[in-house]
Amino acid sequence: MSIRSNIMSKLAETVANGGVTSTDYALERNELPWNASGEPLYVKNMRVVYVGDEEEAKVQLYRTLDQGDVFQTDTTVQAFLTEDAKNINALNPTVIENMLNAKSVINTTTGFNVQVAESGYEQVIENDYITYTFEYTFTTI
Amino acid sequence: MAAVINVTAGSQAVLTLGTTATMAKPGGTGGMIIPFVQDVTVNAAPGIVRYSVLDSSSSQAFTTVNENSISGNMLLDEETFFGLATAGGVNTVADAGLFATSTTKTKVFFSVAFEGSDSGDYYVHGQAFIGGLAPTASMDAAVWISPIELIVDGELGSLTV
Repeated sequence: MSIRSNIMSKLAETVANGGVTSTDYALERNELPWNASGEPLYVKNMRVVYVGDEEEAKVQLYRTLDQGDVFQTDTTVQAFLTEDAKNINALNPTVIENMLNAKSVINTTTGFNVQVAESGYEQVIENDYITYTFEYTFTTI
Repeated sequence: MAAVINVTAGSQAVLTLGTTATMAKPGGTGGMIIPFVQDVTVNAAPGIVRYSVLDSSSSQAFTTVNENSISGNMLLDEETFFGLATAGGVNTVADAGLFATSTTKTKVFFSVAFEGSDSGDYYVHGQAFIGGLAPTASMDAAVWISPIELIVDGELGSLTV
């Protein structure tokens, strides 16, 4: 499974189990965060987490004389969540925390030799809604 | 016409170890090729003693014995470092691995191929003790890396395959 698929599997779990799924929050399992009529889906559909496609770069970590080179793969995945800024859900802090911790699903068990696994988010308030843009960055060998 | 020896194909600069000179030569049957070598250096400097004389403003020099060695750095391969999972019984250096061969101070035959293992390709050869192993691991490095030094016993020679 790809890194994006693994993150989505984790986010698909219930809030109690480290995901985002609850009666108030959901995960969009099929669609990418595309724009409908100029507006991103995650703005139209508040409290639905959208996960973008992954970006990858393969970088040569070591060069050897026998061309048995070692490469590292840098992968970035973004996820989006929008909330009503006037009425933040009580589960919001837990969902945010779970989304940050979802990076931990990328490990040797899921088939990745992880050198770096980081996550963070930025928030932007526009009109009466707040959008959280999460970024997961991984360096795997 | 002069031409540099290009090593980018991945088959030119090759360090091979064995229990006989024939085994250790480039492409030798049963030879242990050290994989994932990042760099290799052939050191063949003669010892020099400098001295001053009263009637010259420049120092004088005379040579002493050569101190030869082969040095390099490599990424560690399990079987190369710790020995073959199933010993072949032919090349005891490969069977034991670099670490055990170093700690037991076993003298090995070696070659450093300069141009590969095709007929007519040049290589440097000799006998040596394995030293200088200092495996290092860190999260930044991501893999085990170690220097290696072959402390040459006697003279280095050059031959063609």
